[in-house]
Amino acid sequence: MSENIERRRFLKCLGASSLIIAPLGCSSVKEGESDANKPHYAMVFDQNKCTGCGDCKEACNLANNLPEGKSRLLMEQHSGGLEGQPCPHCGKTTECGCERKFVRVSCQQCKNAPCVTVCPTGAAHRDEKTGIVTMDAAKCAGCKYCIAACPYDARFINKETDVADNCDFCLNSKLAIGELPACVQKCRYDALIFGDINDPTSYISKLLRVKDSVRIKPGFGTEPSLRYIPIVKLGV
Amino acid sequence: MDGNIEFTMGLSQGLAWPWPIAVYLFFAGISGGALATALFIRFYKKQTTNTPFYKAAALIAFVTISLGMLCLVLDLTNPLFFWRILVYYNLNSVMSIGVIALSVYIPLVALICLYAFEEEIRSVPALKVLVPVIEKLQGIRRPCEIAVLVLALAVCAYTGFLISALIRFPIINTSVLPALFIASGMSAGAAAAKMLAVSMFKEDLHSQDMKLLHGAEWPIMFAEILFIFMIVTSLMTGNAGAQSAFEAFHTGQWAAVFWFGVVGLGFGGPLLLNFATGKAFSHSAKAFYLSGVCAITGMMCLRMFILYAGQIFAI
Ligand code: SF4
Ligand code: SF4
Repeated sequence: MSENIERRRFLKCLGASSLIIAPLGCSSVKEGESDANKPHYAMVFDQNKCTGCGDCKEACNLANNLPEGKSRLLMEQHSGGLEGQPCPHCGKTTECGCERKFVRVSCQQCKNAPCVTVCPTGAAHRDEKTGIVTMDAAKCAGCKYCIAACPYDARFINKETDVADNCDFCLNSKLAIGELPACVQKCRYDALIFGDINDPTSYISKLLRVKDSVRIKPGFGTEPSLRYIPIVKLGV
Repeated sequence: MDGNIEFTMGLSQGLAWPWPIAVYLFFAGISGGALATALFIRFYKKQTTNTPFYKAAALIAFVTISLGMLCLVLDLTNPLFFWRILVYYNLNSVMSIGVIALSVYIPLVALICLYAFEEEIRSVPALKVLVPVIEKLQGIRRPCEIAVLVLALAVCAYTGFLISALIRFPIINTSVLPALFIASGMSAGAAAAKMLAVSMFKEDLHSQDMKLLHGAEWPIMFAEILFIFMIVTSLMTGNAGAQSAFEAFHTGQWAAVFWFGVVGLGFGGPLLLNFATGKAFSHSAKAFYLSGVCAITGMMCLRMFILYAGQIFAI
């Protein structure tokens, strides 16, 4: 249900903002400059809800026509127990699989994106309307500078096209037809929330107002747009 | 809140930049270094003839930068996409600026080669067509040489800036890297040009030029050692990320490359050959070539170490 409201609002925002922004599109916008009128799309990954089913990966693969089995995101499994110590749940010292946590690994959609800065051809760029970091595959020379520069190791070479690739919130596949990113649509547990955090009425803004979230390695100064709600363990 | 959630996996699967890039950095450093030293000497001593060292440096600069470009192109995911780097520019990107510098530098190096080998070209009938070209361009030789000197140093420094922009690698992301690459490029470039000058262009082992180079060698090496020492200490005393990268200097195979290749061969080799052996040997041709080879190998090891250990020990 939340998804439907979100989708409608998203469409409205996309339509309205493109009307406002489009005429400004030609004047060059400096990288990292913040503009309150522009949308700032962000994603929240709720670790409390993710079960690691991997549906998001599959949806990504399908939506973006990626090579067999490849997605723009990975799921990293973190085990709850400490290595070498018996598991607090079942007592086994070996891998027991109890209390699994998952972390979504994907492009963090940095506001201050090193991949965009270093790309010699401008193939890795920021979409003018939405501010989303995306690829212009026709310009990419395959130098892999962006891959080395991304502090999150979130880019890869698409073996079919021989050019670099990253998660762009399905900018050219789903968002282009007014839908939410494929992974967000597909998640059965509502662990992924997507929207414009510059819009105070969006669901994601409301959520972030009441929930604590963290960003990964904010010390790099890249200002990632992905937020994570960690599992917080109370007591032992 | 920091460190509450992390991930260690990556999507790129492996090192973004493997050995061809290290070889490219090596060749670009030698090219720029050799030419810069030759031009320094030319301006300093107000030479007007084509000295053996000048010829050797011009030849080396041209051959190495061409090979370097080859490495660079072959390392692209699809070498046929190379034209895109030449057509599209992003002036925020160090690589793009480097491409602009190189596309001026390479033709100018070719021109310097024409000047340097004027006599040889005149004596080969097949190359006679070039003679009027050289004569026409003789007038702008001086400005070209000045431009090449600047560009040669820029190319050396650029290879450093290129990789020091990679913020997640503490060993690579240091501001002294461009300076280190200029210094090590000059010492290896000078060594390569010296050897070629003696072996191919019949330069006397103890000529004026050689003496001058010999005198400059040690201060440059000292600067290199100093820059490396600065990187090591800043990692050792830096934040947690820097300290974990410091491990690269004492564990694993890349530590061996550093200690044996960079320190042992690159610095120890020439020092021992020159100061720890008898006068007769240290002035011999054998010692001259050996210490040249040591300097060049050391520089290659340095590039390999920085690129590999640097990328392995990420934050
Ligand atoms: S996470 Fe990496 S690929 Fe994504 S915007 Fe940041 S630097 Fe670019
Ligand atoms: S691999 Fe492509 S997108 Fe990445 S920096 Fe090179 S040209 Fe740009």
